[in-house]
Amino acid sequence: MHEMSLVCSLLDIVEEYAGRHGFSRVKSIRLSCGSLAGVEEKALRFAFEVASKGTRAEGASLELEVLPIVLRCLACGAEGVSEDFPSACRACGSSETVLAGGTEELRCEDLEVDEVERPCA
Amino acid sequence: MPVINVVRQVLDSNDRIAGGNRALFDEKGIYVMNLMSSPGAGKTTLVEKTIDALKGRYRIAVIEGDIQSTHDAERVARHGVPVVQINTGGGCHIDANMVREALPGLPLDEVDVLINENVGNLVCPAEFTIGENDKVMILSTPEGADKPSKYPLMFHESSVMIINKIDLLPYVEFDIVKAKADALACNPELVIIEVSCRTGQGLDAWVEWLTTRVETFRKGRA
Repeated sequence: MHEMSLVCSLLDIVEEYAGRHGFSRVKSIRLSCGSLAGVEEKALRFAFEVASKGTRAEGASLELEVLPIVLRCLACGAEGVSEDFPSACRACGSSETVLAGGTEELRCEDLEVDEVERPCA
Repeated sequence: MPVINVVRQVLDSNDRIAGGNRALFDEKGIYVMNLMSSPGAGKTTLVEKTIDALKGRYRIAVIEGDIQSTHDAERVARHGVPVVQINTGGGCHIDANMVREALPGLPLDEVDVLINENVGNLVCPAEFTIGENDKVMILSTPEGADKPSKYPLMFHESSVMIINKIDLLPYVEFDIVKAKADALACNPELVIIEVSCRTGQGLDAWVEWLTTRVETFRKGRA
């Protein structure tokens, strides 16, 4: 259940930016994370629904972009998106592949808000 | 509708507190290890064995993370080192702030090596840095060889993987070749050490790795 910790940190970020830019409500929050980051989307949404109650982010929609698994082949050097991990290189079939993407931690990309007093703060 | 660009790690605040912990550890010259594994893989036993092996050489302290109970802290305290228990009260990991709040309970001026035993969990602890020098993980043979492919982040983040309960290899289904290959696919720089905390097999290699890391850290400060 680390999703609750993630959501609490996310709400701290929202408050920090609200103080900086002066907005009262958040309409949507765009997030991204690697598909292997261990973030369970349903748990994240549930935690957000519970923890955002009474805050300026209550009712905001969460958009989560899940970044794909990327494998690099040690045999031929090819790098590409993969459905699974571990799996063989799509280019040459070698099983000597290493993880090059998909473990990115949860990131807040941007906030869509009602109105901004200080856009460039 | 206005959009505010943020582009920040959600755990930024955790990372900042971890950075503060790290600065304190650097100032005091404390090497810090974050020990992680599934429940029952042998974290506390490894802590006990490590204390016994290094006690004459370094002053050790331990932070014990558990959801509840002081059972592990009591076990560790019997080895004559300062120990603080963190009860996460349902939380599945320890984070930088919990460690920061636990530190006043330890005589930091008299500590060379601080071992943080995390909550038994292969998922969440990997995401929360606490200001450690190394993340150390244990995979025990009865858990099965599929763990690196199921929980890659833990293997990706760790400096070393200890394969514990290696003495049980003849009795359990554990494809050690696959476990190692998949773990290295997560992290090509992962150091792998085979150990049995019960028989003592491989513990010297573990202690040697740890000693080298501690000495490298101390030389870097000198």
